Amino acid sequence: MTGKRWVILGAVIVFGIIMGRLVVRAILNLLMGGTLFGGNFL
Amino acid sequence: MFILLCVFVFLVSMGVGAYSKIAMKPAWSQKYSIEWSDNLGTLYNDIAYGDGEAHKFDLYLPRDNTRKNYGLVVYLHAGGFTQGDKSDDREMLSWLCNKGYVTAGINYTLRNETNDKSVLSQSNEIKEAIPKVIETAEKYGYHVNEMGIAGGSAGHALAMIYAYRDAKESPVPVKLLFGAVGPSSFYAADWDIYGFDKDTDEAREGTARLLGIMGGVELTSNMIKDGSYIEKLKPICAVMWVDENTVPSVVAYGKHDKVQPYKGSQRLLQAYQKYNVDYQYFECSHSGHGLQNDDEVYRKWLETVEEYLDKYLTVR
Repeated sequence: MTGKRWVILGAVIVFGIIMGRLVVRAILNLLMGGTLFGGNFL
Repeated sequence: MFILLCVFVFLVSMGVGAYSKIAMKPAWSQKYSIEWSDNLGTLYNDIAYGDGEAHKFDLYLPRDNTRKNYGLVVYLHAGGFTQGDKSDDREMLSWLCNKGYVTAGINYTLRNETNDKSVLSQSNEIKEAIPKVIETAEKYGYHVNEMGIAGGSAGHALAMIYAYRDAKESPVPVKLLFGAVGPSSFYAADWDIYGFDKDTDEAREGTARLLGIMGGVELTSNMIKDGSYIEKLKPICAVMWVDENTVPSVVAYGKHDKVQPYKGSQRLLQAYQKYNVDYQYFECSHSGHGLQNDDEVYRKWLETVEEYLDKYLTVR
């Protein structure tokens, strides 16, 4: 695999982790209330 | 092929991210959550305080049994008055026991579809249990001379009712209350999250039904309309018992709470201010019922709980 592809894969991992945390936050907010942004963002 | 790999890696990373959000707690929070071990003291489970199936409490006795007097801290479990168990708070109770308190988690009969239990009956069960907790501690050689009461959500509501309504009849002086997200107000106007503040017959019917169940009383739409319902709910409406004798209180609420009304917490805050109660009110301005988006405020709430414990329920 080329260096460029490793960089893309790294970015995908970071993006995936952030999205996973945001999804949990959104679900918790839906159940209990809360803002999606602000506060303990991640 | 590379695109497929990226999709797979993205999905796995999302799973890792979601898990880390659920499982990873801030390092500071570990201080307040201790796993019970026999090194901390002695734990007696399921001691009966009444004839009901749920009438049981767990008693945590600190390792040091040489002191003349002990402060008792009761922590009541959450669960919307319909779920939960005293064992849910084992780590919090262990932390308090490790600080030198006799601690107790008390079960109360939960409301379900086949019984007529209410916040009123549950608060009366707690009132019935506390003398038994103190007697039992005494039996094991721990003389309790003062107490604090606390809880989360429904447990916080019941703790407030005991501290503000029943403290005068407590076998030992109640020195402190702490808790989070417990409903203290049953004024219909505060329950906007369920639409009970609306000026319609439908809203009044819904209000009469739900608040009547909670209060263990019969309410009608007319009572909601003319305001006479609130006196009937006074026994469960902790905010109505706040006065100049109210014990020091440390509470936390979420501004976006969808389970218990934020407006009720504002009414509680105003009552503390009106009667010059020694209080600390923490507002999690990005969170709902779980106080899940304001770690820093949550940390300050716990630190303040510890300060108030040290000040008003000093371990001597």
